[in-house]
Amino acid sequence: MTLHGLAARLAALLRKQKFDTELDDEISAHLELAERDALASGLSPREARIAARKQFGSIEGMKEEHRDRRSVRWLENAWRDAGYGLASLGRDPGFAAVVVGVLALGIGANVAMFGLLDAVMLKPLPFGRPDRIVRIWEAPRPGVTNSTTAPDFLDWRRMATSFEALAAESPISMALTGAGEPVRLDGRAVTAEFFRVFDAGIQLGRTFQPRDVEPGQEAVVVLSNATWQTVFGADPSIVNRNIQLDGQPYQVIGVLRPGAFDRSEETRFWKPLVLKPGQYKRGMHWLMVHGRLQPNVTPLQARDEMRRIALALRDVTPAHKHTWLVEVVPLQTLLLGESLRRTMYLMFGAVVLVLLIASANIANLLLGKGAARRKEMAIRTALGASRVRLAAQLLTETLVLAVLGGAAGLMLASALVNAAAPFLAEMLPYTAELAVDYRALAFAGALVSLVALTIGGLPAMQISTANLGSSLQQASRGSSGRHHRIRRLIVVTEVGLSLVLVCGACLLFRSLLNLQAVETGVRIENVVTMSLNLPSQAYPTPAAAAMFYESLRDRLKSIPGVSQAALSTHLPLRWIGNGEAIELPGREEPVNVRFKRVDAGYLNAFSIPLLAGRGISEQDRYGSSRVIVINEALAARLADIAGIRNPVGLRVGLYCPVYGDKRSATEQVEIVGVIRNERVAAPGVPHPPIVYVPLSQVASEGVKLIVRADIDSASVIAGVREALRDVDPHLPIGDIATMREVRERTLAGTSRPAWLIGIFAGIAALLAAIGLYGVISQTVNQRRREIGIRIALGARASDVLGHVLKDASKLVLIGLVIGAVGASAVTRLAKALLFGVSPLDPVAFVVACAAMAFLGILAGLIPAGRAARLDPVVTLREEG
Amino acid sequence: MSKDKPEVPYGTLDLLILRTLETMGSLHGYALARRIEQVSGESLQLSQGSIYPALIRLQQEGWIDCTWGVSETNRKVKFYALTESGRKQVPVEIANWEKATALVARFLGATS
Repeated sequence: MTLHGLAARLAALLRKQKFDTELDDEISAHLELAERDALASGLSPREARIAARKQFGSIEGMKEEHRDRRSVRWLENAWRDAGYGLASLGRDPGFAAVVVGVLALGIGANVAMFGLLDAVMLKPLPFGRPDRIVRIWEAPRPGVTNSTTAPDFLDWRRMATSFEALAAESPISMALTGAGEPVRLDGRAVTAEFFRVFDAGIQLGRTFQPRDVEPGQEAVVVLSNATWQTVFGADPSIVNRNIQLDGQPYQVIGVLRPGAFDRSEETRFWKPLVLKPGQYKRGMHWLMVHGRLQPNVTPLQARDEMRRIALALRDVTPAHKHTWLVEVVPLQTLLLGESLRRTMYLMFGAVVLVLLIASANIANLLLGKGAARRKEMAIRTALGASRVRLAAQLLTETLVLAVLGGAAGLMLASALVNAAAPFLAEMLPYTAELAVDYRALAFAGALVSLVALTIGGLPAMQISTANLGSSLQQASRGSSGRHHRIRRLIVVTEVGLSLVLVCGACLLFRSLLNLQAVETGVRIENVVTMSLNLPSQAYPTPAAAAMFYESLRDRLKSIPGVSQAALSTHLPLRWIGNGEAIELPGREEPVNVRFKRVDAGYLNAFSIPLLAGRGISEQDRYGSSRVIVINEALAARLADIAGIRNPVGLRVGLYCPVYGDKRSATEQVEIVGVIRNERVAAPGVPHPPIVYVPLSQVASEGVKLIVRADIDSASVIAGVREALRDVDPHLPIGDIATMREVRERTLAGTSRPAWLIGIFAGIAALLAAIGLYGVISQTVNQRRREIGIRIALGARASDVLGHVLKDASKLVLIGLVIGAVGASAVTRLAKALLFGVSPLDPVAFVVACAAMAFLGILAGLIPAGRAARLDPVVTLREEG
Repeated sequence: MSKDKPEVPYGTLDLLILRTLETMGSLHGYALARRIEQVSGESLQLSQGSIYPALIRLQQEGWIDCTWGVSETNRKVKFYALTESGRKQVPVEIANWEKATALVARFLGATS
């Protein structure tokens, strides 16, 4: 057949009606002409008509051939079956609604989960050739990573040949003024190569060039697309304009394309990073380094080269760093992270189970429906329909259902993703954009076909194997036991599979309860937090900054409704990014510590108890004698490595960052107290050693405001804004959050999967219950006569109820046993997500079994109740 | 499907129709059937109806085209005529046929 012919045939499918009537017209015209000629040759009108018909041949046969010739026959049948399918669904809308609903749940959950998986793991990162981007860390110990120093970065850049480009960056935060309310923008100071490494594409203007990082030339910025949109109203003339950052003019040189950095609050703009001679210290780790690998260089080869370079630099490296290694980690690996990868697999596994259960449920419903249609099928067979033809029809009907279910599922998935996106954002890397796109659509299509083919085969098989003749005689008496056994088997499987999910969910929720109960070491009720950044122009000296802190804190305390106020560089429950080191007298190797600056109000505001010595007081101000307080973990470490039993009173050397500069200087400080550990990371992460330094003695540009309200924390925010305006009207407030939200963010990685899997488990349990209900209902229906006789013979309602319930319980029980065995094999996969719960936790298993059993009995109770209320007179009459 | 069909050698009806339309120009179905019977000297047992499936196929291949006209009994009927590509197809079909008969002839000659 030529292409032209094929196209015409496909077109003919749609114009069947027209072809048929035209053909009929042609036939009758033909017969008329033939008849006329026959009359002319002297035949009688009757004979002429017969002759014409005879010459023409079989009309119906010809029509059939005409249809075959002009069209694609199987397609035409399928089209008609789809019509039948829709019509038969229309006759039983309840059935259709249940099947489509169940499928929509299964497919919707899967497509939504696929969208998540796709965004996080499958789609390439939104940069040019993203597989070439790597992060380069210093590694004090295997598994522990650290930022690097300016001289090391410069040496790497000079010596390494594995990279097309190496870029260093450091976080910054600046106040944007002159455009309405002052706003604080977080961004990065980056070296000129940054956008060669992160090839994010440019929308307007240009990115950095080497001349931008020359001293004196650095007052330029590149904006992220989101910043351009939200802060500058997508102004197309922004390029080359000056904006005010920390009171200084900066020229906007470019705007990035939408995508890459738009979901990150931390990277809203970039400015050149100019390294100053004072920052060339091999002990000060403050730069994050990323590189773009040369083509053909693997991360492992690059790592080996970097380690060789580290060895070559040994002579200039401080002695305590001689054992340090260098790690080169692909960006993709870094963003995803091991725990998120596990979580993704686990959640996808859960959602696949839901789909399995949904499919089982639909197979079950279809089998039930098939039983009811045996008579119809038997009649059609008797009338000459081939079994293949009937099977094809049933398959098509299932496909119609699957397509409807898939379409509904797609809508559901889209709604789910939209609803879940903000809820999940915290646990996903900033590069992940959640959306139900064409890839999800293709996935949904594949799922629909898979489901239709697997479960559509079942009723079709029923047709082709069953003895239809006998069912014609028996149809009214109820169905054979064989496929009923299949249905019961399916229900048992469903109960088992759901139990696995419910067990998993119970474990995760128990783990979540444990997390909530974790001793965070801080009191967080009614606390609201904000962040501030002091522009160095307005506060050029640490003394000026210290004065600002003190006046701000005094002013905050006078706000009505505020019971406590404090300032610190890091919030409780948040990781302390600053790492410094202390030098112990008589010991060469420094001790690495986390460095947190707090004012006198901090320990009180969060009720962190003192274990020894004193806390930080208002007397520890700028210029007074230098003191620090340490946490339990550091005290334990000092005892461990240096045998210091009582650290209070000890004088140590402490690397302190220098105000307004990326430098640190060693200061002699006295340890004056030890406090109980406060949690600074997710549960499971051990407490790091921390030094608490008086904020006034080591001033910081960036600080967090912490305010505890008497009643409701939200009510004092306006007061805080006013207080700040009184002290300095030009400072913007950012990151307003209650401590509850902060805590939620820290726990997000573990709580989100628990909720999602909990929802999946709920759906699965519900589906299993529906399946059970369907099977028990059908059993009751088929045994109406028997039950009627029993009641007529004197069985009480409770007997009937018990009898039916016993049947249901048997199915549930077998399912539970199978499920429990399955769950105990599977739950250890979730081990990494569990906190303080064994994967075989008996409480979780018992609760899960009880919940499933309860749901199962409930599903059985409805048809059982119906059976108990049967009127024997009615049933016996209708069956007799 | 009609069982009294292959009076016309299989596959030749297309050629007969194309060839007839080539010589006669535009014809309606009955006239076409009659013409084929006449040319074959009434020796061909043609079920006249069988030309219609052949016609629709030729039409779908784009070799013939139809226009509406009025028959001798004053009814609306389709008149069929060759298209440009159909005209080119006639020699191809003839060549195919000759190739086939030559093959059969050679085969018969060789075995007899």
